[in-house]
Amino acid sequence: MATLHLNALGKTYPGGVTAASEVSVEISDGEFVVLVGPSGCGKSTILRMIAGLETITEGELSIDGARVNDREPGERDIAMVFQNYALYPHMSVRKNMEYGLKNEGLPKAQIAARIAEAARTLRLEEYLDRKPRQLSGGQRQRVAMGRAIVRQPKVFLFDEPLSNLDAKLRTQLRAELKALHRRLGATFVYVTHDQVEAMSLADRIVIMNAGRVEQIGTPMDLYLRPASRFVAEFIGSPSMNMLEGRIGADRASVTFGQASALSLGFDLPGPAGHPIALGVRPEHLHLAPGGAGGIDLAVQFIEQLGADTVVHGAVPGAAGPLAVRLAGVQRYEAGAVLSLACSAENLHLFDAETGVRLAADAV
Amino acid sequence: MVENRPILNILTHAVLILGVLFLCFPVWMALVASTHGAEALSRAPIPLWFGGQGWDNYTQLLSAGLPAAGGVPIGMMMMNSLIMALVITFGKIAISIISAYAIVYFRFPFRMGFFWMIFLTLMLPVEVRILPTFDVVTRLGMLNTYAGLTIPLIASATATFLFRQFFLTIPDELVEAARIDRAGPVRFFIDILLPMSRTNIAALFIILFIYGWNQYLWPLLVTTEEGLYTVVMGIQRMVNSGEALPVWHFVMGTAILGMIPPVVVVVAMQKLFVKGLVESEK
Repeated sequence: MATLHLNALGKTYPGGVTAASEVSVEISDGEFVVLVGPSGCGKSTILRMIAGLETITEGELSIDGARVNDREPGERDIAMVFQNYALYPHMSVRKNMEYGLKNEGLPKAQIAARIAEAARTLRLEEYLDRKPRQLSGGQRQRVAMGRAIVRQPKVFLFDEPLSNLDAKLRTQLRAELKALHRRLGATFVYVTHDQVEAMSLADRIVIMNAGRVEQIGTPMDLYLRPASRFVAEFIGSPSMNMLEGRIGADRASVTFGQASALSLGFDLPGPAGHPIALGVRPEHLHLAPGGAGGIDLAVQFIEQLGADTVVHGAVPGAAGPLAVRLAGVQRYEAGAVLSLACSAENLHLFDAETGVRLAADAV
Repeated sequence: MVENRPILNILTHAVLILGVLFLCFPVWMALVASTHGAEALSRAPIPLWFGGQGWDNYTQLLSAGLPAAGGVPIGMMMMNSLIMALVITFGKIAISIISAYAIVYFRFPFRMGFFWMIFLTLMLPVEVRILPTFDVVTRLGMLNTYAGLTIPLIASATATFLFRQFFLTIPDELVEAARIDRAGPVRFFIDILLPMSRTNIAALFIILFIYGWNQYLWPLLVTTEEGLYTVVMGIQRMVNSGEALPVWHFVMGTAILGMIPPVVVVVAMQKLFVKGLVESEK
């Protein structure tokens, strides 16, 4: 149980490559924080710096108020679960879990008690004397979690722990992880590139891009009020539609190309002619009754998902594709034109040059 | 694949059996010869079946040795060979695995330089550097000692390369997991790396034991005392019996005895070796 304080953390490799910079996050006791971002965004580097596997070149890291920058991984009171499990192949499940405790010099009885408890929690009792190679992927990952749990660390670190598992197992283990977090009440820091995983697990998400933090917030903060175009497009599936345009002459509409314009009904910040990107999530678009919507969509192809249907197409005049998610089973031929509408509070406006969210939230 | 070619099967088996017979024949000859007397072996048709002197020949070899060849009992030579082979084997494995550990897991200046220097020793077998090595051993006063017999043969990290390649295949996460589990460098080496290298060590043990056991030139140079003779040298000395009739029955007996330890090592370690190969997984 601990708080974790990342203060302007940064990593520059000897070659001059910067993997992460100016990362500041306050993680409170018992919080489940997910670091998410595309590959190479520096999220794993941050996690490895917290673990002590990577030296910190800038900034300060404290666990429970104590600066730990220069402490060895074993002295930070953390436990880590790796993507490829990193179980010791020659040791049985029990030995794998014991190893860290033995090195800590814990009495045998206490070790045995902790392992029994962890095995019960993770339903590993019958596998304790097997070797890792005799276990399935999901079981191996549970052993890796067991190895972390028995340590009773201040902070649990997870480095894409579910990436090597198949989809069904991933969903199942995700639920187990969430339950585990609730039961232990410990501080979890979790790295993933999968936004669904981030959304479903996190109390708070730290979304990173190119070594910097883009936004920190609850999953719903990120979904409803993305701070930048990057966040908007990263969170949500299928991802948010972006229509590039310019602020119209009346500063209350967006013009696309030469012909079409979309009247928004509220004033836009910024001068007329300023390039902006108008974002709207596929699930927030709906069919306009009587064909009186603001956006026309020329259907190109549809994805039938059962519960809903994603229609892909193009908006005449606007560059770029547009997708809309409609409930239930829908059938449209390619070439059909749908008239779509969207309520104003579901529109997101971004500066096309900087990607920053425009304060059009005066809506 | 369905295979139904009886004639080919017979043919391949015939070739196989011929090959086996061809390879085993000299061993058979040695075994048979070691049970005869000297006269039987110097006459024209060499016997192909056991004679009646086996017991006497072997008891004399093991207890008294040959007067003409210094009178050292074979048992003692075998012991010398065994000591030499084992010291060389363990010494080489220990040096190689430790140096590979340093080269793979530690960052120090001229790391690759050291690796290539070690690698170069592969190109310098004992025979090439025999004169300078002999000079060094002489000056250090190591002639006629077990140290002189073994240390110069240990001092080439032949297996470093092999261990290095193996260590490179061990995922970094395992090292990191061990670091988080509070295992320092020594603990990691003993608890994780050594057990994981077990099959490599077994394979090397076989190769190096036979290498050590079969050493001929080097022991011949550094030992002049009979108490340090090895079996391989012993055989050579028996053949060089000067004017007298060559004692083939003793030579063959010694050869048979000298073959036993390597065979035992191969048979014993093969199991571990194969088991390790089948189970290998990281």
